[in-house]
Amino acid sequence: MFYTLKVTTVKKETSDASTISLEIPQELKKVFEYKPGQYLTLKFSIEDKEVRRSYSLCSAPTLDNVLTIGVKRVKDGLVSNYINDTIKEGDCIEVMPPDGRFFATIQPQNYKTYYLFAAGSGITPIFSILRTVLLTEKHSYVYMIYGNKNEESILFKEALDELQELYNDRFILIHTLSRPKMKWSDLWNSKTDLYRKGRVDEKSIEWFINEYPLYAQNAEYYICGPGSMISNTQQALQNIDVPNDRIYIESFGGNTTAKTIEGYDNAQLKVEIAGKIAAITVPKGKTILRTLIDHKYEPPYSCEGGVCSTCICKLKEGKVHMKNNLVLDEKEIEEGYILSCQSIPISEKLEVVYE
Amino acid sequence: MDKKSEMGKKMMHDLPVEAYTSQEWFDLEMKEIFSKTWQFAGLIEDVQEPGDYISVQAGLNNIFIVKGRDGRLRAFHNMCRHRGTQLLRAVGKGKKAITCPYHDWTYDLEGNLISLPKQKEEFPELKGELHKCGLNLHEASVDIFKGMLFVHPNKNAPSIMEFFGEVEPYLGPHIVEELVEYKEKDETPFYTKEIQANWKIIVENYIDHYHLAHLHEGTLNMYDHAKAEFGWAGPHYWFYEPLIPAYAQDVKNASPQPLIDSVSEDKIGAYVPWLFPNIGITEGESAWNTFHVTPLAPDRTLVVIRSKMMNVSEWEFTKQYTKSSMSKVWQHYGNKGKYDGDPETDPMASGDFMLEDIYACEQQQKSLQSPFFSVGAQAQRGEFAIRKFQSVVKEWIEKHQELK
Ligand SMILES: Cc1cc2nc3c(=O)[nH]c(=O)nc-3n(C[C@H](O)[C@H](O)[C@H](O)COP(=O)(O)OP(=O)(O)OC[C@H]3O[C@@H](n4cnc5c(N)ncnc54)[C@H](O)[C@@H]3O)c2cc1C
Ligand code: FES
Ligand code: FES
Ligand SMILES: [Fe+2]
Repeated sequence: MFYTLKVTTVKKETSDASTISLEIPQELKKVFEYKPGQYLTLKFSIEDKEVRRSYSLCSAPTLDNVLTIGVKRVKDGLVSNYINDTIKEGDCIEVMPPDGRFFATIQPQNYKTYYLFAAGSGITPIFSILRTVLLTEKHSYVYMIYGNKNEESILFKEALDELQELYNDRFILIHTLSRPKMKWSDLWNSKTDLYRKGRVDEKSIEWFINEYPLYAQNAEYYICGPGSMISNTQQALQNIDVPNDRIYIESFGGNTTAKTIEGYDNAQLKVEIAGKIAAITVPKGKTILRTLIDHKYEPPYSCEGGVCSTCICKLKEGKVHMKNNLVLDEKEIEEGYILSCQSIPISEKLEVVYE
Repeated sequence: MDKKSEMGKKMMHDLPVEAYTSQEWFDLEMKEIFSKTWQFAGLIEDVQEPGDYISVQAGLNNIFIVKGRDGRLRAFHNMCRHRGTQLLRAVGKGKKAITCPYHDWTYDLEGNLISLPKQKEEFPELKGELHKCGLNLHEASVDIFKGMLFVHPNKNAPSIMEFFGEVEPYLGPHIVEELVEYKEKDETPFYTKEIQANWKIIVENYIDHYHLAHLHEGTLNMYDHAKAEFGWAGPHYWFYEPLIPAYAQDVKNASPQPLIDSVSEDKIGAYVPWLFPNIGITEGESAWNTFHVTPLAPDRTLVVIRSKMMNVSEWEFTKQYTKSSMSKVWQHYGNKGKYDGDPETDPMASGDFMLEDIYACEQQQKSLQSPFFSVGAQAQRGEFAIRKFQSVVKEWIEKHQELK
């Protein structure tokens, strides 16, 4: 279900990223309630093709009365560049209500330690969690490490500096830069020793956790960033026995497995969707989801990146290859669940059901 | 403890006298108070490195705390899931796995059962992965409050800040983590003593403002009792009093140990809160102490005091001691017995306020069994905290009995 929301402000944050704020009309306040860490799904029609993309909310639910997302350009990316190039104040955008399993459950009486790991545009949901925790949970601590290419690509730099100053007794922020522009001697001589050189990887995380041991013992770990940053961080945490049920991960997609698999040409697909049964042919290499959309069906989906599981369906017969899967666990796959946005037929006959 | 059975019973203030003498009450408190609250377990430096552990008796539960490689503390009930044998002894270092001495069942530091001898032959019913067989260690909770470790027997205990949050603003400004513990040569705590009195008699003595100027007229008179402020925050008691002017003026010289530098000059004084149910803190100008009370029997209680001071060299302590012994303040205040007598054998002539308190507590306990005993009257300000403490004990027990 999409709603039309109006853009109230567009702000260029860095040379390749902008924040877009959307107004929530009074009657939609309930529908658009969210938890810090969740995302919106936006729908556009670009070059006659309907496309959807998910963007994490960087605003904080109890503190801001607009919905704000931060969009960073992806090289040759369709939607991220479209947004940065064309969206302006007063535009209307089609938006699905907030969703996602990556969120922090905030309660004023909590006494927790939040370890936040962000890199690049992965700061967006982390920034929402950060602000909500600091302003709502007066006993909790936040230890954050944030990776960027250089000083100029740091999103929300000023706001982060401000939070650091305001909450210096319970918020630690370390910036780590992979290709800093300044000479390091300058940095060391200046006021701050909170910059490091390098990436958010196993080495820097080991250092970080040793350097800043937790005080409040109920700890949670939130990770969001591109490509291998997530798996590296997760690995580093597992290396030191952080239990998996304390680790929360959000992937923005984009890191499709390198190996390409030949799809079956013209596979015969039987599909049960919205109580109806249809039979269609899937061209070689096309996903089940895209084929259905091309045939004017309306399958549920949002990220189209193998991340959100909105497009989930059950495979009753045949075989598929999933290009990317960042949500389904082994048990779900054993039970036959697939992400239709990522599934290419690799058998002649298939049958799927959207439950 | 219904109203009817209370009628006609002899009362202290809010609690019947038998609450201080009977085994029945002792058992009730063990079950409903000491096994259902956050319990003091030590200081953060007690568990420093990954693999280090301590175990503590907290009411009816024995709980151990171990640090993981991620720096986070875990707490488990110190009890083998096979036939219950206690797993770990008091303290230790460098654990990677925990093996029960009895039949060698072995657990990892997350409490998962990972191996047991003759699994296939003897326990054919334990199939699949061992840690999914429902025989992992029972998890407890551990957290840190003001440099102290606390444990709670439940895995999903209410946050420690829900319990202590209200009293926190009334505590001293001392940064406890910077201080270092003063220990005796044999590594034992600063002070350990078994007292022949019910634990509540000792708590009531600790929170009794009325006695300060009398029992301790020659020992604690460097504090200005007339200017004391005190009250309750949640189930906890808070207390503050400044130094007397003569001591305050010369405190830099007169203080027996180096002044604690996290306390600014205008905040110097004695902060003496009581955290429910059984841990007091004494936060002074040069020492920061925990005063931990463990009930052993209806009329026997263990008191352990641990003391932390400034992290400075032995030389600094010697210099301060020399300056202090030359200060005129101590010629008039702080160490004179209430009565004349042999300070070595008579607590009331010792000039030591701890001995005075112990003496008073034990003498009071002795009278509780007398048919002629009763509480004569209550000082409305100076003893208000005593009635309040009794009502908190009573409410806590009633609340937990109702939950059943
Ligand atoms: C839950 C969720 C939350 C998200 N939140 C944000 C957010 O807050 N801010 C934000 O900027 N983006 C966010 N994204 C990513 C966003 O949805 C788009 O994937 C991204 O903007 C690229 O879309 P595009 O149409 O520009 O690129 P496409 O045209 O889809 O792709 C172009 C090329 O870029 C690669 N690519 C796609 N996505 C990425 C990526 N994320 N990183 C690197 N390479 C990529 C593709 O493999 C392809 O080769 C989020 C994604 C998800 C699933
Ligand atoms: S639409 Fe998000 S996983 Fe397929
Ligand atoms: S009681 Fe522990 S192994 Fe048997
Ligand atoms: Fe006393």
